[in-house]
Amino acid sequence: MLSVNHIVKQYASHRALDDVSLTVEQGKIFGLLGPNGAGKTSLIRIITQITAPDSGEVIFNGKRLNSDHIAQIGYLPEERGLYKKMEIGEQVLYLAKLKGLSTAEATKRIKYWFEKLDMGSWWNKKVEDLSKGMQQKVQFVATVMHTPELIILDEPFSGFDPVNADIIKNEILELNRQGSTFIFSTHRMESVEELCDHIALIHQSKKILDGSVEAIKQEYRNNTYWVEYEGTLQPAETPFDIRETEQHKNMTRIKVQLKPGQTANELLSALLPQVAIHRLDEVIPTMNDIFIEKVKQKN
Amino acid sequence: MNKILLIIQREYLSRVKKKSFIVMTLLTPIIIAGFYGVAIYFSIQGISGTSNKIAVVSENKTLLEKLPSSKNRNYRYVDQSLKEMKSSLKSGTYDYVLYLPDFDLNHPDGIQLLGNKQAGLTLSSKISDDIEELIRNQKLKTSGIAQEELDKLKTSVDIDTKKISETGKEEDSSAGASTIIAYVSGILMFMFIMLYGVQVMRGVIEEKTNRIIEVMISSVKPFQLMMGKIIGIALVGLTQFVLWIVLTASISTVAMKMLVNDKDLKETTMQASVQAKNMPSAQVAAANTPGIGNIQKSLANLELTKIISVFIFFFIGGYLFYSALYAAIGSAVDSETETQQFMFPVMMPLLFGYILSLSVVTNDPYGPMAFWLSIIPFTSPIAMMVRLPYGVPDWQLMLSMGLMVIGFVGTVWVASRIYRVGILMYGKKASFKEMIKWFAYKN
Repeated sequence: MLSVNHIVKQYASHRALDDVSLTVEQGKIFGLLGPNGAGKTSLIRIITQITAPDSGEVIFNGKRLNSDHIAQIGYLPEERGLYKKMEIGEQVLYLAKLKGLSTAEATKRIKYWFEKLDMGSWWNKKVEDLSKGMQQKVQFVATVMHTPELIILDEPFSGFDPVNADIIKNEILELNRQGSTFIFSTHRMESVEELCDHIALIHQSKKILDGSVEAIKQEYRNNTYWVEYEGTLQPAETPFDIRETEQHKNMTRIKVQLKPGQTANELLSALLPQVAIHRLDEVIPTMNDIFIEKVKQKN
Repeated sequence: MNKILLIIQREYLSRVKKKSFIVMTLLTPIIIAGFYGVAIYFSIQGISGTSNKIAVVSENKTLLEKLPSSKNRNYRYVDQSLKEMKSSLKSGTYDYVLYLPDFDLNHPDGIQLLGNKQAGLTLSSKISDDIEELIRNQKLKTSGIAQEELDKLKTSVDIDTKKISETGKEEDSSAGASTIIAYVSGILMFMFIMLYGVQVMRGVIEEKTNRIIEVMISSVKPFQLMMGKIIGIALVGLTQFVLWIVLTASISTVAMKMLVNDKDLKETTMQASVQAKNMPSAQVAAANTPGIGNIQKSLANLELTKIISVFIFFFIGGYLFYSALYAAIGSAVDSETETQQFMFPVMMPLLFGYILSLSVVTNDPYGPMAFWLSIIPFTSPIAMMVRLPYGVPDWQLMLSMGLMVIGFVGTVWVASRIYRVGILMYGKKASFKEMIKWFAYKN
């Protein structure tokens, strides 16, 4: 539904985005990852039409991005903000109307969301009287209320306690089931693994990794296994590369890296005659590992 | 367009609903009316009441005439010595004791004015005027000029200024009336541009520090947000302005009726005329003060509708011109404390125009300085308003208004280009160089 083609954005002496292209498919949750200052926010600002690229284009539902698309995109910036002196209800209503909802429709939807997220009594409260977490909730509602096709969330869980983070996560999944596409910008890798279907990693203004979470993980498997056993292993009869060894009482835990072409079965058949095996796990790299590895490589 | 209306509505309502707005709007007219009332009250009291009783102890042998009393200086010649009078000052029969020693008319030294309280500057200079006149008359008489001749010498001059209008008709005009209108409209213009321009700047900074700006900008164009804010605040200003006028007028009317009933007013005029009869003929003319009548007549004669409509035009134009600059400043900084370095150069021309308008322009409303100040958009809102009551040729008015329109379109354009970049910049120390760079950004 959204494709970003060869975007370049230059700020004075600093190139924020250097020939970045990516495609977000309809109904998916897309993770936009990258260390601080990589260019994520610059890219999001281009998609939300806050700024325009120096070159390249953004295609939204087959059309070049234009002002008609504003109502179809919801954006929750990392730096949250509301008018402090305004009442909550009035404020969300104002933001909804700016996105093109009628007063009646907006009121109905705000009531629905406030009810759903336990905010029923907040309507007449002022923003300055709410806690930070409560303000985040208000802002989340303001972002999704006009049921945009594309919802862009920048660090959506920062500032939430675990209970509220879970509530928001479930709302995101539900909206996703109902058909909303998400772009998710974060450095919290565990939420990426939980939620995202697809990721792109931006580092130093360039895209350095792009693919589905599954595929990337598969790609970053390096034939490494954890094995736990009782007994003693004869190094001469174990033609594998043992990377680490840990000893817990009579239990031994080793990390084995197989050579290309070797399989877990070969490992097992070599070990079975020697020791009593308790456990064998493949080491699948977490997104966190991949992220760190990729970024370090580039540096 | 619809979005601009929504923004205007929010900016307007959120300000008008504020307690501080309501308090300011209600309190200011009460204070103004209060001052007005007090001033009227005291001026009436001043005519009918408080007159200073001055005991004159004269040891002078050459002064034959006595000091004539007037409305607030009541001279009584007493036979007691200065010492006795000094001690009787405490009893309060007299406010002051004036001591005239036996001086030579050419060197009147040693005159003293004693009182329980220090005599005000006006009073002491009036008394010294009285004595000087007395001495002058005495001298003239000794040189052989008759009393009638002396009376003839005293003439009070009141210039009846008339302006020949373009149609050749003579109109009553008065430098007084024009000056009043010029001052009032100049001050109002200055006040409103300053007050509401700064409000625009504060609003922009508020959005930036609240970080709501990014949410807003993902829904509306920066230009819409800026113009919505500027127009919304202008409407707040106009609302306050109209309410002030209406409230001040109605409160003063009521207050006038309460403070000054008809009887008082009649007494005042009667007393004034009684006093006038006792005065030498020349002073009667002065007491009737045809000047005041002139001012009233001229106020009616000035083209009020023209003045008001030009005022509204320059109010809106000048406000747009400056508030756009203020919006640009607001967008460039992270907090209000950083605004100083930019505020100064923006305020300078306005302040400059204000000070020059009220001094140079009122003194010489047709001079080259007045002309240029009232043409250049930086100062024209104030200078033109100050010049207008004295009469301005139509072509100059048109030129000034035209330049004003070009001026504010220009500042709004420049400001919006700085604004759209500035609002998204955080933590960067803004400078003029930086702002010029922002202005040049493509998008």
